[in-house]
Amino acid sequence: MIPTSDYLLLSGLLFTLGIVGVLIRRTAVLVFLSVELMLNAANLAMVAFARAWGQLQAQSAVFIVMTLAAAEVAIGLAILIAIFRKRVSTEVDPLSEMKG
Amino acid sequence: MILFLILALLSLVGGVLTIAASNAIHAVLGLVGTLISLAMLYVTLDAHFLAAVQVIVYAGAVMVLFLFVVMLLNAARPVSSRDPIPYVRELAVIFGVLLAGSLLLVLNGYAPPRSLANAASDLAGGAPGPVGAVLLSKFLLPFEAVSLLLLVAVIGSVALVLRPQVQEDPAPEPAAQPGRGETA
Repeated sequence: MIPTSDYLLLSGLLFTLGIVGVLIRRTAVLVFLSVELMLNAANLAMVAFARAWGQLQAQSAVFIVMTLAAAEVAIGLAILIAIFRKRVSTEVDPLSEMKG
Repeated sequence: MILFLILALLSLVGGVLTIAASNAIHAVLGLVGTLISLAMLYVTLDAHFLAAVQVIVYAGAVMVLFLFVVMLLNAARPVSSRDPIPYVRELAVIFGVLLAGSLLLVLNGYAPPRSLANAASDLAGGAPGPVGAVLLSKFLLPFEAVSLLLLVAVIGSVALVLRPQVQEDPAPEPAAQPGRGETA
């Protein structure tokens, strides 16, 4: 059987890709996409731990995380559409009106 | 092992495509590839129900939503203007390599608490029945909270996107749009 640490390494690499994506992407949609990548990396780690411990709780938790991600995407994309109506662009850099 | 390597490589290629493709459609499709290879990895991890949910909910519904919004907002064209933060790209890559290195260092030493062959028999293959039993007994409160959250999310997204109905003014000219000129 493939050792759990291999899955964890893959999860770590995917998480790093996601966080680099959040930093370098400048369109809000693609920043969201990178966040999804990070969520999935965390899910992979949880499923790997579920197998390592022989416990189904982690798999149920992953199910809840997936549902949360779906809700987050729905709300986030609705906000993006609302921003797009006002500004005709979804770049994140000009969106700095709320700074204190 | 060879299957794991192929799937891992596929998911990493999809991830790189997600963060580096200049066309947003390609980025979304790269993430779809990552999600599907992750679903196959779930199968190798005895999580069959999660694999099915991953394909149906994530690779299906969520990604279709993403594609739809990318096309609707015309976000597929690459961003051309200069980044206002200097060297953010290089710094992100440098810190990403550092983060990956430290994660690899930590995670490589992980030793599972019991033998994998022993633990696998407790998982029952991650079939819908056992997973659902845990979900509806131990995770009942989070389950209900998440269902409420989904309801709020649906209502909230409709409320956000709904255009305000203006009764008195017959022609609501969108003249007073702040900041339109500076980004166009």
